[in-house]
Amino acid sequence: MRPRLLIKRLLFLVLVIWAASTIVFFIPRLSSRNALRERFAELARTGGFSSTDMEKIIASMQKQFGLDQPLLQQYWQYLNNLVHLDFGVSLYKYPATVTELIAQALPWSISLLLVTTILSFVIGNLLGAIAAWPRSPRWMRGIATPFVLLTGVPPVIMGVLLLFFIGFRLKLLPLGGSYSVGLIPDWSWPFFLDLMAHQILPALALIFGSVGGWVLSMRGMGITIQGEDYVNFAEHKGLTPGRIFRDYYLRNTLLPQVTGLALALGTVVTSAIIVEGLFALPGIGSLINVAIRANDFPTIYGIVIFITIAVAVLMAILEFVYPLIDPRVKNE
Amino acid sequence: MLKFKLAVAAIIAAAALAAPTVGYAQATPPTTGEIKPASLADVPRNQTLVVGWGVSGGEPIGDTNPWALPGYTHQAGNVLMWEPLMYFAIFKNEYIPWLADSMDYNADFTSLTIKLNKDAAWSDGTPVTSADVAYTFEQQLANDKLPYHANFVQFMDSVTTPDPLTAIVKFKTPAPRFKFEVLSLKFDTGIPIVQKAWESKQKDYTAVAGGTEIPHSGPYNIVAWNNVQKIYDLRPDWWAIKAGRHAVPAVKRVIVVNTLDQTVDTVAQRLVTNEFDSSTDMRAQIIGNILDQNKDVSSWTGNESPYGYLDWWPNSLWMNTQLAPYNDPNIRKAMSLAIDRDKINEVLYDGAKIASIYPFPLYPNLQKFADSPEVKAEEAKYNPGEFNLDKSAALMTAAGYAKNGDGLWAKDGKTINAVIQAFPSIHGDIAPILAEMLHTAGFDSDVNFGTDAYQNMADGKPGLYLFGHGASLFDPFEALNLFHGKYSAQIGTTAGNSRFSRYKNAEFDALLDDASPRASDDPKFQSDLAQALGIYWRDTIDIPVIQWLHRIPYNNHYWKNWPSSTNLADGTNGAFWAQTGMLVMTGLQPSGAQ
Amino acid sequence: MTTVAMSPQQAIEQPNGLVLLLRYLRRNKGLAVGLAIFLALVLFTVIGSFTVDLKHAYPLSVGLKKPPSWQYPFGTDFFGRDLLAAMVVGLWQTAVIGILAGGLGTLIGVILGFIAAYFGGFADATIRTVCQILTPIPVLLIQVVIASSLDKRDVTIFTMAFIVVLLAWMGPTLVIRSQVLTMKERQFVSVAKLSGVSDFGIIFKEILPNLLPFIAAAFVSQVFLAVFAAFYLAVLGLGPLREPLLGNIIWAATGQGAFFNGWWWWPIEPSIGMILILGSLALINMGLDELANPRVRRTE
Repeated sequence: MRPRLLIKRLLFLVLVIWAASTIVFFIPRLSSRNALRERFAELARTGGFSSTDMEKIIASMQKQFGLDQPLLQQYWQYLNNLVHLDFGVSLYKYPATVTELIAQALPWSISLLLVTTILSFVIGNLLGAIAAWPRSPRWMRGIATPFVLLTGVPPVIMGVLLLFFIGFRLKLLPLGGSYSVGLIPDWSWPFFLDLMAHQILPALALIFGSVGGWVLSMRGMGITIQGEDYVNFAEHKGLTPGRIFRDYYLRNTLLPQVTGLALALGTVVTSAIIVEGLFALPGIGSLINVAIRANDFPTIYGIVIFITIAVAVLMAILEFVYPLIDPRVKNE
Repeated sequence: MLKFKLAVAAIIAAAALAAPTVGYAQATPPTTGEIKPASLADVPRNQTLVVGWGVSGGEPIGDTNPWALPGYTHQAGNVLMWEPLMYFAIFKNEYIPWLADSMDYNADFTSLTIKLNKDAAWSDGTPVTSADVAYTFEQQLANDKLPYHANFVQFMDSVTTPDPLTAIVKFKTPAPRFKFEVLSLKFDTGIPIVQKAWESKQKDYTAVAGGTEIPHSGPYNIVAWNNVQKIYDLRPDWWAIKAGRHAVPAVKRVIVVNTLDQTVDTVAQRLVTNEFDSSTDMRAQIIGNILDQNKDVSSWTGNESPYGYLDWWPNSLWMNTQLAPYNDPNIRKAMSLAIDRDKINEVLYDGAKIASIYPFPLYPNLQKFADSPEVKAEEAKYNPGEFNLDKSAALMTAAGYAKNGDGLWAKDGKTINAVIQAFPSIHGDIAPILAEMLHTAGFDSDVNFGTDAYQNMADGKPGLYLFGHGASLFDPFEALNLFHGKYSAQIGTTAGNSRFSRYKNAEFDALLDDASPRASDDPKFQSDLAQALGIYWRDTIDIPVIQWLHRIPYNNHYWKNWPSSTNLADGTNGAFWAQTGMLVMTGLQPSGAQ
Repeated sequence: MTTVAMSPQQAIEQPNGLVLLLRYLRRNKGLAVGLAIFLALVLFTVIGSFTVDLKHAYPLSVGLKKPPSWQYPFGTDFFGRDLLAAMVVGLWQTAVIGILAGGLGTLIGVILGFIAAYFGGFADATIRTVCQILTPIPVLLIQVVIASSLDKRDVTIFTMAFIVVLLAWMGPTLVIRSQVLTMKERQFVSVAKLSGVSDFGIIFKEILPNLLPFIAAAFVSQVFLAVFAAFYLAVLGLGPLREPLLGNIIWAATGQGAFFNGWWWWPIEPSIGMILILGSLALINMGLDELANPRVRRTE
């Protein structure tokens, strides 16, 4: 790889992270809510925490976290910490650090989110490509439409319906949780099966909602490609429809979609907020849900930046991989 | 083409491998705080108690030290590890001696003698001695981060330990309620006793989680803890068995399942399928349906409405009485006249009489107080529960308001801000109803379920606050003490400890000050408080709305002997998350299911 | 050399615009279905506003928890809203958010895209880089954070539209920019330039008309995104709670355990409403994609 290009890409990555961290820094500070106070309030409300000196404790903790300094100074401190990869301590779940919390939550999300994103990518794009291909049989093209309509179904309703009918009425699959009550995680076959069984319904809820998006964009792509000369040329050459579909059509429509795959990983976390809540999966979605509700900004920053970095890095990797797959694309 | 296929195949393969691999991440060395045992003893389902819990997401994993604050909570099973000097059984109206055999006041309530049980011991084998008790008290006095610091500062002068089983507390002023309020565990209040040896070894005990190593006196040990579940196992060397305090518990294992944000539907379903034996409390409609769908499930009142027991948190619409226009008692009264308590009962509770006019729950002793002739006389004088839109309108016009184009009361172009600050998880059903009632009566009302609701209450912002009175359990003193002028924060500061009304009235304060050193059964005490309650109604310090019910589902499929209205058991409420939860859980008997 | 007599020119009959449109719709079934559903929803809302008492869309107006019947065709909910009235009001409120946010987003996209492509150089580089930098940021997440940071009393339909627009304009900007770039090089623009038409003239008279299909497609997809984001925020409980936005109704229903308690109509109706709205927008979007690409536009 040419060094100039590498530097350019790295610079881009840095800019993206800076932009994301700046945007997300100021927003929660707009409101006067304070996560420390929320936590104490909750303790007071539910736990009989009757210290009238709550204010003093909060004040001393604010000082400890540097929250009483002017905003701009906090911003510099924040950027400084970021560079050292220090996300700080969670205000709401004090004294756990944000890195700890993310590490605790990640295992419960990552398999679910990765698998569902890739599955809906594959299924959605295939359906979208078929839908746009004029030579597909009528009924195959028709399949796309119901999936597109499904994007309108709120994941909340989809999840509740799945739980109600499949989990409760039919008792086929568990009603939530990451694994069955009373088990401890270990490297065993029965545990693995139990884990997978608990992932099926949440995966379905996520996939159904997101396939439609891929179908739409792929179909749009497909329509554009259809008109291209090389497709016509392939037809005139007399290649079989299947071969044209696979080698000329699919391959070219799929490539631009791959960048979208990286972006989709970012949006799937937001869908995960709802789905993880519904199915009691203590993953990243649940973590940020609690953080947002308590205005626990260190955790919010940590998660948003983490996701942004993941997406940006993935995009960068894909851009390097692109020329390997499509020799026409040269890095300028 | 080959490269393309390879690339796609590689991506899919990577994902497929990633899934289980990362799922197994839990099996690798624990991330900080998590408690991961190498293996678990085999305990059959019918010796295990499974409860669902998801109220707050804030509990740090691994926090078993009651002094690891903020963060420690007793609610999700930690009650099984920590014990007090005495418990209080609210429905039997009596103390349950526990670590202490007795706690006796002297004649004028200036000193308390505590005698410990000779068999009381910690999980590491050492006995519980008066040194531990003294250390617990002294630290509360010294460290302002501990929850009862303020109470100790106000009342305790010193504590002495003449022998290992006796501790004598000296009070600065007569403190007749200290034994009840602070030293007994009930509902969510009171302090447990901690071990001096372990806590004093820590550099800063508020920053140490405790995990599995902290010695405790309670019957269960924490064996596993992650974001999904907490598992507690019974320890056979529990001191209470040898001391004869308690039989060997039939529940050998307790699992607290984290239900996070699952909808009530799903938690209800998990009860119906017998996955859960109990859960957080439910709304009326839901619990009725659960009872219908699974005949093994019952509630505090069996299979009948209202399905729950009275909790200690009756709700009112509070407001900042130092802020205009809420500083005018007539306007407060006008708002109170807009609330139709019968309609609330009809709409939300299927007719059960839940709407209330008192700032305290109607527990046996408090019911007696409310029924006393003095209180009844005050009630007749001020008629606090009245619903009358015409009277409300008359008061408003007298205060100089006129209805504007939207039908709302306005003066100088400004309407009366009656936005209700509330919590969606518990007020989801009642807040919108109250808002509509106020709106109909001409107040500019809406609901704020945002996360800044509590902050607004504490800051005394304009609007109404739907909040409870977590104070009185036995006598009305603590509830009315919420309105004592000495606690009323200035505008611009934050009201600590839920004293949102910032009410200041010398007459009221005088009554409470006179009552404070008196015992609860002193007739002067009773009449002082009756008059104070009268002032509460006269000035509409806040608008009482509803008593609070805990409708907790009990699944009798595996376990029976849950406390209920017909089965008092130990006399406590049936919440496994209350400070008395340990008694509830260890009192359960197997139902014989496999 | 022979001359061939040609018959006198006959007036070529052009079918009028409406007939052409209908013929096109017959070919492009997706667009037709989408438009049909959309029109049906508009009719529902308009007729509803005149025939139904809209005050009943708010709590405590009518009897509670009643299943669908002649009196209340959509039933009532736990708080006493007439769900028919709630759907009518909710639909047009959703429409307001969608059109406001969608329109604003498209407008910003068109303006920025034009500036970037037409004037090139520094403007182009800046706008393009900013768009690219903002792309990997998880937009929906940031919107959730913004919505939950606001003071509850400030959350209205209009602030929701604003939140939604804030980070949604990058897509149309890049699309319009690339289209304008292609057109800039086309012959008709060069010709216009040579004839001395001013820059503005070129923009408005030459390029813009050719861009209309793309702008329309961008608008529809922006409306789709706006409605989706607003709906998502409402389902999380972050919308203006008293208003009968479809997402709010679903949030309230799941909070009160509607399915378990047997009030199935309460969450199902707004869900169907949402499916219809988003579905019709998606189908229209699909149809416009075709329209915008003349090579693919199906010929008769």
